[in-house]
Amino acid sequence: MTINEIDRALADRASGDPASESDVRVEVATQWQLMWWKFRKHKLAMFGGALVLFFYLLAIFVEFFAPVNYTTYNEQYVYAPPQMIHFFREGKFGPYVYGYKFERDPVSFKKTWVIDESVIIPLRFLNRGDSYKFWGLFNANLHLVGPVNAEDPFYLLGADKSGRDVFSRIIYSARISLTVGLVGVFLSLTIGILVGGISGLVGGRVDNLIQRLIEILISIPNLPIMLALAAMVPLTWSTLSVYFMITIILSLLGWMGMARVVRSKFLALREEDFIMAAQLDGVPRVRMITKHMLPSFLSHIIASITLSIPGMILGETALSFLGLGLRPPVVSWGVMLQDTQKVAVLANSPWLLFPAVAVIIVVLALNFLGDGLRDAADPYQ
Amino acid sequence: MADNDNILIQVKDLKIHFFTNEGTVRAVDGVTFDIRSGKTLCVVGESGCGKSVTARALLQIVHRPGKIVDGDIIMYRKKGQNQIEEIHISDMEPKGRAIRAVRGKEISMIFQEPMTSLSPMYTVGNQIMETIMLHTSVDKKQARERALEMLGFVGIPRPERIVDEYPFRLSGGMRQRAMIAMALSCNPSLLIADEPTTALDVTTQAQIIDLMQGLQKDYDMGILFITHDLGVVAEIADNVAVMYLGNVVEYSDIHTIFNDPQHPYTQSLLRSIPKVTATREKLEVIEGMVPSPFRRPSGCPFHPRCTKAMPVCSKIEPKTISLNENHQVHCLLFDDDVKNSMRGMAS
Amino acid sequence: MWRYLFRRFLSMIFTVWVISLLVFAIIQLPPGDYVTTLVNQLVATSSGSTTISSEYIEQIRESYGFNQPIYVQYFKWIGKILTKGEFGYSFVYKRDAVVMITERLPMTFALSFSSFILVWVIALPIGIYSAVRQYSLGDYIFSFIGFIGVAVPNFLLALILLFVTYKYFDQAMIGLFSQEYASAPWSMAKLIDMLKHLWIPALILGLGGTAGLIRTMRANLLDELNKPYVETARSKGLSEARLLWKYPVRHAMNPFVSTIGWTLPGLISGDLIVSTVLNLPTSGPVLYNALRAQDMYVAAGFILMLTILTVIGTFVSDILLAVLDPRIRLQ
Ligand SMILES: Nc1ncnc2c1ncn2[C@@H]1O[C@H](COP(=O)(O)OP(=O)(O)OP(=O)(O)O)[C@@H](O)[C@H]1O
Ligand SMILES: [Mg+2]
Repeated sequence: MTINEIDRALADRASGDPASESDVRVEVATQWQLMWWKFRKHKLAMFGGALVLFFYLLAIFVEFFAPVNYTTYNEQYVYAPPQMIHFFREGKFGPYVYGYKFERDPVSFKKTWVIDESVIIPLRFLNRGDSYKFWGLFNANLHLVGPVNAEDPFYLLGADKSGRDVFSRIIYSARISLTVGLVGVFLSLTIGILVGGISGLVGGRVDNLIQRLIEILISIPNLPIMLALAAMVPLTWSTLSVYFMITIILSLLGWMGMARVVRSKFLALREEDFIMAAQLDGVPRVRMITKHMLPSFLSHIIASITLSIPGMILGETALSFLGLGLRPPVVSWGVMLQDTQKVAVLANSPWLLFPAVAVIIVVLALNFLGDGLRDAADPYQ
Repeated sequence: MADNDNILIQVKDLKIHFFTNEGTVRAVDGVTFDIRSGKTLCVVGESGCGKSVTARALLQIVHRPGKIVDGDIIMYRKKGQNQIEEIHISDMEPKGRAIRAVRGKEISMIFQEPMTSLSPMYTVGNQIMETIMLHTSVDKKQARERALEMLGFVGIPRPERIVDEYPFRLSGGMRQRAMIAMALSCNPSLLIADEPTTALDVTTQAQIIDLMQGLQKDYDMGILFITHDLGVVAEIADNVAVMYLGNVVEYSDIHTIFNDPQHPYTQSLLRSIPKVTATREKLEVIEGMVPSPFRRPSGCPFHPRCTKAMPVCSKIEPKTISLNENHQVHCLLFDDDVKNSMRGMAS
Repeated sequence: MWRYLFRRFLSMIFTVWVISLLVFAIIQLPPGDYVTTLVNQLVATSSGSTTISSEYIEQIRESYGFNQPIYVQYFKWIGKILTKGEFGYSFVYKRDAVVMITERLPMTFALSFSSFILVWVIALPIGIYSAVRQYSLGDYIFSFIGFIGVAVPNFLLALILLFVTYKYFDQAMIGLFSQEYASAPWSMAKLIDMLKHLWIPALILGLGGTAGLIRTMRANLLDELNKPYVETARSKGLSEARLLWKYPVRHAMNPFVSTIGWTLPGLISGDLIVSTVLNLPTSGPVLYNALRAQDMYVAAGFILMLTILTVIGTFVSDILLAVLDPRIRLQ
């Protein structure tokens, strides 16, 4: 410390520079901001969130993203293997895939398709291909990518038993599988809020009884019950009815967790310190609810919703895989995986397992996102 | 300083920083004090000023992102006749054998929460005997005898029953007594008590403090007592260290602190307790909030709230100034350089 | 403790009762009653020549109380199970349901139990490691594997296993027995043979649960590691290793034991699908076929017995909890 420094400090005072004030101003951030900051730091959750967003966008624009319609088939190319997409031809941008040729397996004498590098199938981005009715609203035929020549085979992830494009079907399935998760979760959220809300608000004996029942329902293995219920859905029902029935069955067995979260939040909200603190501070009631209770409540609900969707998706996949869930012509990842039940088929066309890859990625992404959301829901920890 | 041979622990310019993702927190930033045997040092200060972190450092149990970055903690151990050994605790490995031999044997610690400081899974006796068997070569039976004896010392009725009881079946006061019994079971020369009575009701609080004072006499041990309660300080302290944002801003004996405080923070701290004598005196609170550890004010960290702040206070950090042998202040008001300069400006 | 256990026991009985109601409701779901289906089946299969006497039909109707109110039917159904062990007749398998249950249920038990043990043996140390070495490379790797375990449906693992054995070992059978034991009567050798084969399906079955349990153990232990009693133990001078095992791990075991309540249902559900894919001789495939064929009495019998199995498992975990935790024991 030198005299000079002190002098300079005193001179600063004279020129009216209150250096001290800016240092101690406490920044007040809203709870949502705090959560967002905390969430942003969770890299894996951000990544998961981006993936989830991508998949739901995919689900909205399936007709565009899929090279062909999910029903389009070509008997000629049954079980054709996946093609690799190449982007550059002779040094210039020109996407293409190789064609197929028929070969007889020297051992089993079975005829199979193999990639033929002498045939080149040129591709085009924003291609005009199969026509479709987008969202049942207007006709279009634009696809993200497709063969220039519509007759050429184009199977990025191979073909199935009827020569349908596995890639396109996976994309179409995203719509069904992802919405089953979403609708199912909202159904179970409704039940959960209702039951959990009653439990948390009424309390006492009712609460006790509900908690007991929830305990019991959780202790039952749910797949057998789910299968039993699904097995009852008459074969004559329309695909839409089956779809809703399956969602209802899934949510019937998935609401318990939600009810518990809602109940515990209700109980906690009644007691929570910060509400006491806010009351003592004289914060008006409405502000208290919007600024403190609602964010806390909603953030926890959003986190548990995100964490329940994977269970729904896996449930639907399992049901459909066993042939008791959604039924063709509806296509979901589980429905597609039904084809893999025969081991001989699977052994020769392992690309039929690709729908499972989609399931795994989506479930992982939702778990990452949900974990991040749950952590961010308690911004003060 | 007087009677140097009674010094038990000397803390010199101790700095403990927490290296978090959000930045470095200077939780303890140059703390100096000493503790003598048979005497009680009280550490007071607002929440978050670094009292607990300092106390933990004496046992090398500072929490993870925290590290002792500078300074010395020296323990003086009597070695035979008239010989004193210096032990540098600050140099020890936190997980090493050396510090583990000190913990619980020479320096013991009791904590704020008697409810959770003992494990509910094991009996009181089990947890006390564990300490005894760790530091002395006795068998289980002897350890149990000792545990019973200790439980008796701390005023627990029917120790032979309590020894086999689980902590969650005891009252808060009983648990804190059991904690004390455990802490003292190996005759430590220093007892660190981090707000040991905060969680207890007033009557129990008084009993525990009496107990500690009595035991201090019996064992001639030093006590480092952390509290928010100036009433408690008045009752038990020999010396007081007042802390603010990682610094000891004033250190002196109890009489000086209460009757002749020099640091503006100590002064406002004392004014913030209601006086019984004053009839309707307005209770003074210290203006402003404790700043966030990440936005430590420049210069003297107390200056934004200080009633006597000078412009220099935001520019330079104060150093510790000895007003007399037993009274140190950490404030620019008493800095000769500053005084000279001010006089220069005025003329 | 006895009061606690008695309460848990009563709650178990209550649970079983509620489950029996639920299962009975499931029997009632398919259109038409059991006797009609049965008669149709008998007529269809007995090459047309024999006719079934209306007397016989009436007899069956009577014994199941089909002409009586629904609650009477419930009591007749549950009464038969409780007093005579009669679960009804399977018109798909043409056998008594009880025979199939006694044949298959022990296998499900064996599979689920070994899977459960495997899950614990894997999850416990990994969970402890991940908590103690939080944010270490190992922690990240195990967390990642854990996430995969949650995301990969177990039937997919079963499919991959099938694929691999078919493609590279030329046989799609992953049965529980070697060929020479498959139809041999039970013996010590057969049991050992089964245990040798059991671990692969047990592992597949347990993967999801393992992942969940690792995360539970890690989270619990992380919670416990910051508790004041750990601080106390450390300030006594205990070494880190001794302290870890005696205090936080021991504390974290309690919530871990309580997870049995949700691991078991998961394993039973998993058995249904994994065993169906792998065609193992457990309840899974039989229950699956019964459900597809709406062979409701068989399905109901299996579901009832499987849920009771899990409820008993949960009760055992309650006992374990009481033994472990003095707070419960001394209630
Ligand atoms: N684990 C940690 N991570 C980051 N900073 C920490 C951590 N532990 C303590 N600190 C910092 O150290 C400072 C001092 O903490 P300490 O616990 O010593 O306060 P205290 O004086 O004991 O307060 P109280 O009276 O509330 O017990 C805190 O303000 C905090 O910023
Ligand atoms: Mg403290």
